[in-house]
Amino acid sequence: MEDIEETETVASEHDRLVSAISKLDKTQHITEPTRNEPTNLSSEFNLTKRTNRLNLNNVAKILEDTAHHVQIGKKLKKTQSVTKVLSKPLEKPQAERIKRATGYEATKKKVGRWDPVVARSRTVDYVAFPLKNASTKLEPTGDFLTKLKLKSDLEKELDEIDPIPMVEDEEEEEPVLPMSYEEMVEHRQRLAKMRAQQSYKAAKAKRQSKIKSKKYHRVLKKEKLKQELKEFEELQKNDPEEALKKLESLEKARALERHTLRHKSTGKWAKNKLIRAKYDKEVRQQLAEQLAVGRGLTKKVLDNQSSDDDADEEAVSNVPLSQDPFNTWMMKRSDKSNINAEFDFGYKKFIQNKMNKQKDDSDSDSNDENMDDEDNTKNNELNVLKSSISKLSQGEKQDEEFSNEDVEEVEEEANTNVKATKKRKTNQTETQEIEKEVDQVVSHPLFKKSKKTVVKTKVSKPVATSNWEVEAIDDTESKLPEDVLSAFESHETSVAQKVEKKLGEIRRNIERLEKAGRVNQRETQKIQDTQHRDNVEYLKLKNKKVRAVIDEELIETSSKTAADVVNEEKDSDLSKVLNTAVAPVQISADSNIDSHRFVAAKPKYLNSAISQGENEYDQLDDDQVVPRVNIEEVFEEEDVVASFRQEKEDEINKDKPEDIKPTLPGWGAWGGKGVKPQKRKRNRFILKTPPKIPRRDENKGDIIIKEFKDPKLAIHKVKDVPFPFESVKDYEASIRAPLGNTFIPEKAHKKLIRPSVITKAGKIIEPMDEEELLVPKNRNFKNEGVIKLLGQKK
Amino acid sequence: MKNTKKKAPQRYFDTEDKKSEQKTEKQHENVEVYNIKITPGLLQKHKFKSHRGHDRRPIQKGKPKKRFEGKAPIDPEKLEAHSRGEGVGKGVRHPLHAEKLRKRERKFTYAQEQAARAEILLTEDHGGLEVDEDSKTTAISQKIIADNVDISAASKIFELNLDFGPYRAKYSKNGRHLLLGSKKGHLAAFDWVTKKLHFEINVMESIHDISWLHTETMVAAAQKEWLYMYDNTGTELHCVKKMDKILRMEFLPYHFLLAAVNEFGFMSWLDISIGEVVGHYNNHLGRTAVMTQNPYNATLCLGNSKGVVSLWSPTIKEPLAKILCHKTPLTAIAVDNRGMYMATSGVDRSMKIWDIRNLDGPLQDYRLRSAPVDLEFSQKDMLAVGLDEVVEIYNNCCSQTTEKPYLRHRMAKTINNFKFCPYEDVLGIGTSNGFTSIIVPGSGEPNFDALESNPFQNKKQRKEAEVKALLDKIPAELITLNPFDITEVDVPSLQEQMEAKKKLLYLKPKKMDFTPRHKKKGKTQIARKKIIKQVARKEFIEQAKEAQKLLNLPEAQKTKKQSFGVLDRFVPTVKSRK
Repeated sequence: MEDIEETETVASEHDRLVSAISKLDKTQHITEPTRNEPTNLSSEFNLTKRTNRLNLNNVAKILEDTAHHVQIGKKLKKTQSVTKVLSKPLEKPQAERIKRATGYEATKKKVGRWDPVVARSRTVDYVAFPLKNASTKLEPTGDFLTKLKLKSDLEKELDEIDPIPMVEDEEEEEPVLPMSYEEMVEHRQRLAKMRAQQSYKAAKAKRQSKIKSKKYHRVLKKEKLKQELKEFEELQKNDPEEALKKLESLEKARALERHTLRHKSTGKWAKNKLIRAKYDKEVRQQLAEQLAVGRGLTKKVLDNQSSDDDADEEAVSNVPLSQDPFNTWMMKRSDKSNINAEFDFGYKKFIQNKMNKQKDDSDSDSNDENMDDEDNTKNNELNVLKSSISKLSQGEKQDEEFSNEDVEEVEEEANTNVKATKKRKTNQTETQEIEKEVDQVVSHPLFKKSKKTVVKTKVSKPVATSNWEVEAIDDTESKLPEDVLSAFESHETSVAQKVEKKLGEIRRNIERLEKAGRVNQRETQKIQDTQHRDNVEYLKLKNKKVRAVIDEELIETSSKTAADVVNEEKDSDLSKVLNTAVAPVQISADSNIDSHRFVAAKPKYLNSAISQGENEYDQLDDDQVVPRVNIEEVFEEEDVVASFRQEKEDEINKDKPEDIKPTLPGWGAWGGKGVKPQKRKRNRFILKTPPKIPRRDENKGDIIIKEFKDPKLAIHKVKDVPFPFESVKDYEASIRAPLGNTFIPEKAHKKLIRPSVITKAGKIIEPMDEEELLVPKNRNFKNEGVIKLLGQKK
Repeated sequence: MKNTKKKAPQRYFDTEDKKSEQKTEKQHENVEVYNIKITPGLLQKHKFKSHRGHDRRPIQKGKPKKRFEGKAPIDPEKLEAHSRGEGVGKGVRHPLHAEKLRKRERKFTYAQEQAARAEILLTEDHGGLEVDEDSKTTAISQKIIADNVDISAASKIFELNLDFGPYRAKYSKNGRHLLLGSKKGHLAAFDWVTKKLHFEINVMESIHDISWLHTETMVAAAQKEWLYMYDNTGTELHCVKKMDKILRMEFLPYHFLLAAVNEFGFMSWLDISIGEVVGHYNNHLGRTAVMTQNPYNATLCLGNSKGVVSLWSPTIKEPLAKILCHKTPLTAIAVDNRGMYMATSGVDRSMKIWDIRNLDGPLQDYRLRSAPVDLEFSQKDMLAVGLDEVVEIYNNCCSQTTEKPYLRHRMAKTINNFKFCPYEDVLGIGTSNGFTSIIVPGSGEPNFDALESNPFQNKKQRKEAEVKALLDKIPAELITLNPFDITEVDVPSLQEQMEAKKKLLYLKPKKMDFTPRHKKKGKTQIARKKIIKQVARKEFIEQAKEAQKLLNLPEAQKTKKQSFGVLDRFVPTVKSRK
């Protein structure tokens, strides 16, 4: 017993120690009782911090007594269930679209796997079919050897009596499953992924379609427009034809949009009016006006090209009933002003307000942008120009009529500025300043332009709001509401189209501006150069005479003078004199040649044999070489050389086109026999032929090489460079080497003439299966260029 | 895997593995060594273990030194000799085609390498005569040569004494057969190595020239009036009356053309494969009996009495080029096998070497002591010069100026013509009294290409070669100065086409770079002359330096003279030097 007590005391002491230690951090720890008894009263000693969440399950458990309670309990459980009700599926076309999109992506990826395989088989030297070679399964050596052994007669007989049991191949035939486990898993994963993607997209689409915010839609539309514009710009750069097509399609879209005219009679205002129209004539009138507006808009525009006239024409043709000055019936109406007053509410008013607001917004926007751009302009002009494009296009939204004028003004401004800089720049030297100036030139008109737009909008503000009190302007005022309306209705459609049109113009203008800037730079540079040169030349001493630098050899015969002489005195029969005149020239040429022509080849006197008959006291092999006098040399004809050179000259002159002399003798001077035209005139009226390319035999002395195109050879020559080549040099290089086995070793020859596709006779060529994707040579094929080229085919 | 029950015999790899095992064991020194008899099963186990990386050797970093470095390196000079020039650059931008072209280029380089490697098969080397410094090669007569060579070679020196006047001799393309035709109508063909006679007839007319056709079974003889063809039994096959009074004939083997020039200056090319005359016109040069062919481009070189050599092709009725070689009538022309050099000789006893490929020269100008009768280049560029009864053979006389002949052979009869025998060191001389065959060491090509021309051809090979040659026949139109004209694009007409296309509306003009691969214009004559001069000068300076070293001359000591300022002029000058 004592032992027990002792242990108890030890335990209690230990507990105290533990509690003392735990108290050290001075927070009250109320531990949850480990043991409890069910009581109706909650003991005050058992106060513990508990989560005050009610466990509804427990609650529901309690309510199981009666049927009614059970139902309540069920309801309670239901409210707690986490599962949600499935959302309503998407509209069918939308869902289909999403399905198609995801399907397309999946298929694209799936087909794309084959790209490297295809690319490799295209680039590779040769493809041998069938792709899968004969099975590489090795035959057991014993089996193989038995084939090579001849059986003796005894063996054969024995075999007949007791045939060797054929050893069956005990290969386990694996059950042919459509897919392996891994494949199946992969397949399932893929499907799940696709489904998930589909559902994500569906959810996204649904969420987006639910958004009612007009601002959001506006932003969306704007974004779309911008995107389209960007795409179009790119297209214009890359493929003008495609761009034209796109433009056409845009036009079509616009037409369609116009045709539908959704907002004709579906608005709140229109509906209200419809109800009242039965009883109120005025309302009917208003509705009719509204419809008339619609009709006016749907009317075919005659001239699409001139966008500036577009609005005007429309306005003229679409004068609403009430305002038509020629419509007497309408003019008679007394309560005209009333209509006007009434027109200022509801739908119309909303639109007008909105238009005004939009304008203000964009104005402020553009101003802001302008401020920002000022910094950028210093960096580079191109950015500025780009921003100006965007601004111009924005400006169009507000006042399309003015944008064109503005552009012109910009140009003018720029030009004048350029001129100014030109004038000023003549003295300055640093090119940096020029650039700065150009920047200014570019940035300046922008400033002006933005200002102008502000001014313009100010002017047009009363116009746009269609304040009906301003009746002083009789004709233009009548257009105004339509202008506003049309602006609203055809806003998006027309803007897109017009922007395209304007964009081209603006771009051209920009180019011109840039060019002007460049020219400016260049000119200033030139001026500087000339100045510089002037300075240098001023310092230089004057050369008294310009001496020809004799660097090259003279032409052997002065052909030109000879030709001239011949031309001038063709008729006169002084050819003999001529010949004599030519001769000295040739002699001089001859000496010229001799001075260096035969530098390499000095005559070498050889100690050759002399025939027996000729010289009997011939000493062969004597070391002393005696140059003997050549009897033949004495008699050799100088005439031969002269005639040969004459021949060469003729050959050179033969295909040399002569200068054309269209002088008219006696024209503006005395004519007649013996009167020579003035030298000045002769020189003036000569059409000089272009200098000929040097002949092959030009510097070669007594060698004539005929230069002509051999028509019979030309038949065999290649006249066109085939496709992948873009230079003659490359093509010639590609056909430079022979392939025949008489020229190159047999092995190389075989390699060079191997066909690109080799098929084995009598073998079925199966289509490729997916195993081909896993072949390392296909997987390692990494020629991105070729893969991209072959993959992008549609 | 299969488990063999039988004990396999000791194999070569077993022992090898043992060695390697021992090596590994040596590495671990503190491990006890057990000698284990190796059985295949154990071997397999062991392999398996080693695969597991149990005792894998440490992986050596860097490139392990290979025992065999792969293929033997190729001599870059040889490689350069087989080069086909610059390949396709990066001009092709289409990725697929660019890749294909790159692969093709790789094959071309492979072909080049193979060709360079195959040179190892050219085992034979051309011989030559070597003598002591104080003696001369000309002193070696045919008798001495015959005494010193083997019997079969000595049998190549022979002489035929024939009675029918001056003889012309020609060897067949493979150098096995000889054709003789005499002024007095004697026509004979025989295998000159075995001395087996094919036929021997007398045509009872004067024979002006003879020629083998594409095989040794057919010969052509230009007789007094017409051209006749005979087979190897002497049967007359054709009498070609379109070609009359022929003076000289040449057979162009790759074009199958028999080219001839007649007494009146008419040139004609007869295609013997189809029997058609492909070119026939007058050259307006008069009677010319000096003609040879340029084997490089198959043009005919015709020398006239005014010292002008003109080059002719069948399709163009004008000379392709003219060279004024001598101021006196020409006596002989010869063009070497590669078409590099042309040797001409005139009545003025001069002999000149020209660069016929570039149409330039003269490279060498020799003056002889008598006018040559005939000239002939051997396959190894030895030049035989016939001087009445003496044949002199010059070696290395084209690129450099030679001093003396290499060989000289004197006969008792005048020379009519001579030819070097292909693939043999033999010169066959047709003389006034028959035929003489002499040995010229080192004149022939020692290695023959049996597919090109085979001296040891049998009947079947001959037939095959004939068919192949016919398939490879080159059209007559391709005979031009530059045989590689055909590989060039016709740039002018291409330009014309492009211009015409540019005029068409709505057609995007193709971009094209027209610069040809080979620019036509090389260095000018003057530039080349300068280079030659510079080289010569450099050589001379070096020679002078060498000579000075040899002489060991003490350098002129320049002692500073005492200067007296203005009064220097009164110091007496000692004229010790000079």
